[in-house]
Amino acid sequence: MLRSFTGLNMLLLLMNYAAAQPTSNQAATRIDQQLQEEIGSVPAGGFAPQTDDATFLRRAFLDLLGELPSEEDTLAFLLDDASTKREKLLEDLLEDPAFGLRWGRYWRDVILYRRTEPRAILSSDALTQFLKTELNAGTSWDSLARNFITANGDIKQNGATGLIMAHGGRPEETVAELSRIFMGIQIQCAQCHDHPTDRWKREQFHQLAAFFPRVAIRPQRNGNDRTFLVEGRDTFPRRRRMNNNRYIGTAEHRMPNLEQPEQPGTITQPVFFVNGNQLGLGSDDTLRREQLAQWMTSTENPWFAAAVVNRLWSQLVGQGFYEPVDDLGPDRQCTAPKTLNYLVGAFQANDHDLKWLFRTIMSTAAYQRESRSQPVAETSAFLANRPQRLSADTLFNTIAGALGIPERVQRSNGRTRNGARRLFNSTFGYDPSLTRDSISGSVQQSLLMMNSQLVNNAIQAKSGTRLGRLLQQIPNNRRLLLALYLRILARQPTPVEEKTCLDYLRDSTSRDEGFEDILWSLVNSTEFLHRN
Amino acid sequence: MTHSGFWQTDISIRGNQAIHRRQLLRLATGLGSASALSFPALLAQGANKLQRQGKSCILLWMQGGPSQFETFSPKPAHSNGGDTKAISTQVPGIQIAENLPRVSRVMQDICLIRSMNSKEGSHPRAQSLLHTGYLPTASVQFPTLGSHAAHQLGDPDDELPNFVRIGRAGRGGGGGLLGVTYDPFVMNDASRMPDNTTVTTSNRRYRRRLKLRNQLESQFAKRGARQEVANQKELYAKSSRMVLSPKMDAFDISQESKSMHSAYGDTAFGKGCLLARRLLESGVTFVEVVAGNWDTHFDNFSRSHTLCQQIDQPYAQLLQDLKRRGILEQTLVIWMGEFGRTPRINPRGGRDHFPRAFNVALSGSGIRGGQVIGRTNEPGTSVSDRPISVPDLFQTFCQALDIDADHENLSGIGRPIKIVDGGAAVTEAFS
Repeated sequence: MLRSFTGLNMLLLLMNYAAAQPTSNQAATRIDQQLQEEIGSVPAGGFAPQTDDATFLRRAFLDLLGELPSEEDTLAFLLDDASTKREKLLEDLLEDPAFGLRWGRYWRDVILYRRTEPRAILSSDALTQFLKTELNAGTSWDSLARNFITANGDIKQNGATGLIMAHGGRPEETVAELSRIFMGIQIQCAQCHDHPTDRWKREQFHQLAAFFPRVAIRPQRNGNDRTFLVEGRDTFPRRRRMNNNRYIGTAEHRMPNLEQPEQPGTITQPVFFVNGNQLGLGSDDTLRREQLAQWMTSTENPWFAAAVVNRLWSQLVGQGFYEPVDDLGPDRQCTAPKTLNYLVGAFQANDHDLKWLFRTIMSTAAYQRESRSQPVAETSAFLANRPQRLSADTLFNTIAGALGIPERVQRSNGRTRNGARRLFNSTFGYDPSLTRDSISGSVQQSLLMMNSQLVNNAIQAKSGTRLGRLLQQIPNNRRLLLALYLRILARQPTPVEEKTCLDYLRDSTSRDEGFEDILWSLVNSTEFLHRN
Repeated sequence: MTHSGFWQTDISIRGNQAIHRRQLLRLATGLGSASALSFPALLAQGANKLQRQGKSCILLWMQGGPSQFETFSPKPAHSNGGDTKAISTQVPGIQIAENLPRVSRVMQDICLIRSMNSKEGSHPRAQSLLHTGYLPTASVQFPTLGSHAAHQLGDPDDELPNFVRIGRAGRGGGGGLLGVTYDPFVMNDASRMPDNTTVTTSNRRYRRRLKLRNQLESQFAKRGARQEVANQKELYAKSSRMVLSPKMDAFDISQESKSMHSAYGDTAFGKGCLLARRLLESGVTFVEVVAGNWDTHFDNFSRSHTLCQQIDQPYAQLLQDLKRRGILEQTLVIWMGEFGRTPRINPRGGRDHFPRAFNVALSGSGIRGGQVIGRTNEPGTSVSDRPISVPDLFQTFCQALDIDADHENLSGIGRPIKIVDGGAAVTEAFS
């Protein structure tokens, strides 16, 4: 039976781990042992078995690259006899440039789905690019976080400004998001009142905001190109802009007076609520943000490493130690706290190396188990992996890859645009910080998959489409079916599926039409939409 | 299983209990004589009745922030009013701008609020505010008004969507914490069927495809994804029911007569209003129709005039048409944008953003028309009587639609969020 601890207990436990530097394999073994210990007697149903190779391959490709394996990838992996082939695969995928792009898009969504400044969408490309480059280069998580906290410059040039831009530089919203994303602490509840269940006080929230009053957002226009500058300022014009359009910072943060909102509020000193460290009033912007970045990302701040470990574990294994992934406490329930603590310590000892973290989690038996639908009770946590809905970008990659839809469409004026990806993003996109149960499908999604020209043109059996070519190349129905299953679902059909499809073909008006319908059904399947 | 037992199961499955309990009660009382019928038959027979009894809403969204001076609050006696003249309306004592002659003739059905005010002068944030009743925050995704209406009043089993948005409403928002189920069904052009609702094969082949799809699903369900398969199955059933439904004709405005088309006028907004009426008649709960380009930073006077020409006839016709068909009593019609425009006319002949005093017009659903609520001072620079805040306005919407404004939905981290936080309904707006 799994025991639960609150976050505070977790902090105490965390101190027990010395800074040994385990490899991914060592850590994975230890995690599985620890988890087994915390789960204790396994409830009815037991652990799900380890996945077969095809499921593992598709899962790893989708998780790390956001793409389907090609038929060649699948066949090569299935035919490989080496006992270390899964390990080798993870190694290869982590060095693939698509890794940075896939997770860059993930973090872009984490940041921009909660934007309170809609024009932050202008920073989207630069933000993705910045993250992609850093993640591929193996930049450590603390260094990335420091970049976001201290960023200055043009939001279209320096993607690290994206998080501050997402909230128009407004101190309260910006620090609330820094706290949520990097520490898993939802301190913004204390913005207006002392929170009834959490221990942070309203004053502590505003002391955190006091690290950010001098940040300014300035609109820029070069011809038709609109952009914004994020900058720290230490001198201020006398007159402030109206309408919450906080283009111009202020020297010091003021905590609003709740009784008399018209009053300017109390000048508040920067204090970091986690460790009580503080800066004096009058400190310049550079000092404020660099100091906050250092305190927040320090290994002495256990929330920092725990937040990213919990988030990635949840993404990969299907359930976090804490859910939702961005709400760790201080008084929340933790599932398997000792396992989390061990992983956090080992991640810190490995200098917040994100690739190490991916490799470690994906090497565990916990990750490599077969998937089962949402566990009904806490007692069945971590007995299986979970089917997970693909992100909009990953879904677009898979459908574009499987059906040969080009990323960019040529327009009549000779320019290109990525309209199809945008269509998928606006239809299938979701906030990745939400729990899986709250991410549901919509009618507009299924209509797009069922009836859109985009999909229906691509599945036609005419020359120039993938299906059209396969119909010509492979005269045998059974073999053509295998080719489609490999291409769309990265596996062979089961005997039952094979029979269903061959029967369907027999009753169809023509071979072309029958295969179009099969392809349509595979693209519209639940399996295609999920990573299993 | 007894009928009452069945109902209870039914209610708990749906989740939005309050309203369905109410609708079912209505159904039970209204169709007592038909009690020999089975429950599904009863429900089918009651569907139309339910829809006619339920409240519905049309939001005419003026994207960009219309000038109050050039629409409903002309100030011809003051230099801030510019050259815009005032005209009399059907209601003695109420004058509006000359740009809205047709609307002036249906003034008896309009309750005009001239004292709306907020502090938010940035388009996107103000669009969120006037759509959700809240300023945007990172921690809670507040649902838009249409999503609340769909959640509280809509029939989840309807073949048509409960909430349709016609046009691009900037930051009009969606279901937010209620989930994508309550997102608007968006269409950009009222004169075409909505995207992806036309079957690309024969209906027979389409059904055959769907059957194959369902057969193949069972294997994935067996391999652990039971719940995911069940969810998708329900979704595909709902989507294909919609696409194959005869009720989809509601989206086809070409079925309206020539005279009806000319009554609504040949503008995109006119077609949107006509479609809104058709959808309402087919049981859609909430329709938002967007008229854009109200951001008149330059050339305010001629542009406002042109914009008013585009909305004047359809807006007036919509109210008359709904009234003639007897659905205005059950339908709240809201005319509003995200803020008003500055009293000062800038050097480019434009007016800038002004949230401190602007207009909202309400009709139907128990609203008493032919009255003005609130006033601004002579130069139009501030509200001088009966200021109405955004929460006040949302309380008023809720009262008109029989929605409990205190109803709490849970945010992602389990924080209870009221539909409206604070404010008080504008009681004098009701008859």
